[in-house]
Amino acid sequence: MSADVFLFWFLAILTLAGGLTTVLVTNPIYSALALAFAMIGVSALFVTLNAYFLAGVQLIVYAGAVTVLFVMVLMMFDLKHEITAFTRGKFTGLVKSGTVALLAGILVGAIAMTSDLFLKISGTPEVALGGGDGTKELGKILFSKYIFGFEALGILLLIVAIGAVALARSKGGTHAKQ
Amino acid sequence: MGHDIFEVSINAIKLIVVFLIIVQAVPFLVWLERRGSAFIQNRLGPNRIGPLGLMQLAADAVKFFFKEEFVPASAVKLLYYAAPVVALIPATLAFAAIPLGQPVQWNEYTFRLQGYEINVGIVFVLAVSSLAPYAILLAGWGSGNKYALMGALRASAQVISYELALGLSIVGMIMLYGTFNLSEMVLAQQAPLSYSFLGANWTAPSWLPAWGIFYQPLGAIVFFAASFAESNRLPFDLAEGEAELVAGFHVEYGGFKMLLFFIGEYGHMIVASALMVLFYFGGYTIPGISMADLNQWAAEHAPGANAASLTVGLLTLLCFFVKLALFIWLFIQVRWTLPRFRYDQLMDLGWKTMLPWALFNTILTAALVYVAHL
Amino acid sequence: MPSSDFLQQVGLPHYLILSAILFVAGMAGVLLRRNAMVILMSVELMLNAVNLSFVAFSHYLGQMDGQVMVFFVMTIAAAEVSVGLAILVSIFKRFKEINIRFFEHLKG
Repeated sequence: MSADVFLFWFLAILTLAGGLTTVLVTNPIYSALALAFAMIGVSALFVTLNAYFLAGVQLIVYAGAVTVLFVMVLMMFDLKHEITAFTRGKFTGLVKSGTVALLAGILVGAIAMTSDLFLKISGTPEVALGGGDGTKELGKILFSKYIFGFEALGILLLIVAIGAVALARSKGGTHAKQ
Repeated sequence: MGHDIFEVSINAIKLIVVFLIIVQAVPFLVWLERRGSAFIQNRLGPNRIGPLGLMQLAADAVKFFFKEEFVPASAVKLLYYAAPVVALIPATLAFAAIPLGQPVQWNEYTFRLQGYEINVGIVFVLAVSSLAPYAILLAGWGSGNKYALMGALRASAQVISYELALGLSIVGMIMLYGTFNLSEMVLAQQAPLSYSFLGANWTAPSWLPAWGIFYQPLGAIVFFAASFAESNRLPFDLAEGEAELVAGFHVEYGGFKMLLFFIGEYGHMIVASALMVLFYFGGYTIPGISMADLNQWAAEHAPGANAASLTVGLLTLLCFFVKLALFIWLFIQVRWTLPRFRYDQLMDLGWKTMLPWALFNTILTAALVYVAHL
Repeated sequence: MPSSDFLQQVGLPHYLILSAILFVAGMAGVLLRRNAMVILMSVELMLNAVNLSFVAFSHYLGQMDGQVMVFFVMTIAAAEVSVGLAILVSIFKRFKEINIRFFEHLKG
């Protein structure tokens, strides 16, 4: 078993453990910390897929800002007790779990059954990605083919920043007590 | 990691050495801080134990080992024990990506004086420093103490606010040198200083190198100020001030765990100084002598190519550490010169002053680079 | 098809199956949990799973479009989290609870 394969399995198990812990643990702070762990795992998987810039951005944005925000807000809330962590009714819970299991089965089965189709597509990834330094290619394509989406994202971020401040203000916000 | 067992083992030893540099530099830094601050405050500082008080930290370390190990009653045990360990991780990972000297060529192996060579070095360093708030939050929540929690929330809000100004102030450098790679950035700063704008060239006298600070003075100032806030040093250390918050998020830590927090904080200080040297002051290149000249001098005076390369590597390493020591001394000087900021002043400074200036620097650099290369 | 070949070589199906399992775990979290913060976190997990599959396809097909999509998804997810957290903070200030069973009736 070569080093790459071992690395993939190791990271996959860690990420999966983080993801499952997020969903299954009752204490929400442990959930948030497990989510941070899963995001670091996903960033490491990006590195094995040669997307170095995206791995760094994933760490900066997701693991370093989004999850920190989650943890900070949870610590401020200081929830005293977890009334019912999981869904209440037995029958609806069973229906929901059944749906999720069915979707899981369909997805994994579809991937496994068409896996020889995927193995044929594996072309020459290194050549097309510009020989390892994908950042320049990413920049070029972002500013030429996807320029509209890029600018729209900028406007979206501006709106979101103003909106978040307006929502959460105590005096004069949209949800302030009048 | 390498092609054969020799290279792999040397690389493994190099990783351990890089980690130990941070851990072993901290006693020296604490001594420097105590003597330096005493010098600024017109008193003596520790000077009894060992020559010049150098063994004071060894005595302190022995004291820490023998302190009582306690856990507060309302603490969350897992987080309480995990926090000091997590505090070490961002600083050491970031330090491992910094090139400390020129790569040494030994027979057919090239050993980089760097923990690991990463092509997107700057993004990696920023990414790993953005994991710093976790240690603070874990410590604050795991202590089960309201003061600790308040201090932790404030400190982590401060850290993530100043990360923005930190990252943006470096973007100007990335635009100028066109690379994320830290070694390439260092090597690009060794040419003699020259400005060229719309066809008009001006080259400075040859002993003045093309350091980053001559091209990006505003970026350097913003980066330096933001790195104070990142490592929670005065004048930005309200979150761990004793008069305001009873030492903030590490109030419930004593003994060895507290020492680990301080290793983390001094580690951040070392990384911030190292980045300052790397981006704006030429890294490991010696001012006035280009690397080609240095290599030639070593090849003439040393027995064999291996020894020549090793000499150049060690010389550049020494140069880097001298520059690093200068900046750490500057950190310590600033600590005892400026009064502490109040928390709302601190957040105002981060969002309303540093972020706009960093943005302005980015736009100005982009405009100048575009116009000058038209 | 658990053969030893599946374990010995890593290809696109491996990443896709990992992404599918993470996505389904996130979906289970959204459906089954009652704490609003954990629901938001499960949505983040789903978005991360999708990012992983985008990058895997980008790597194995040799095109950069997948990484650009990840860029967009990351930005939108960060924006959505900030607005979601602002809403949750407002709800907590008003009701002192973020367990969704208190908000099951549409009026009041």
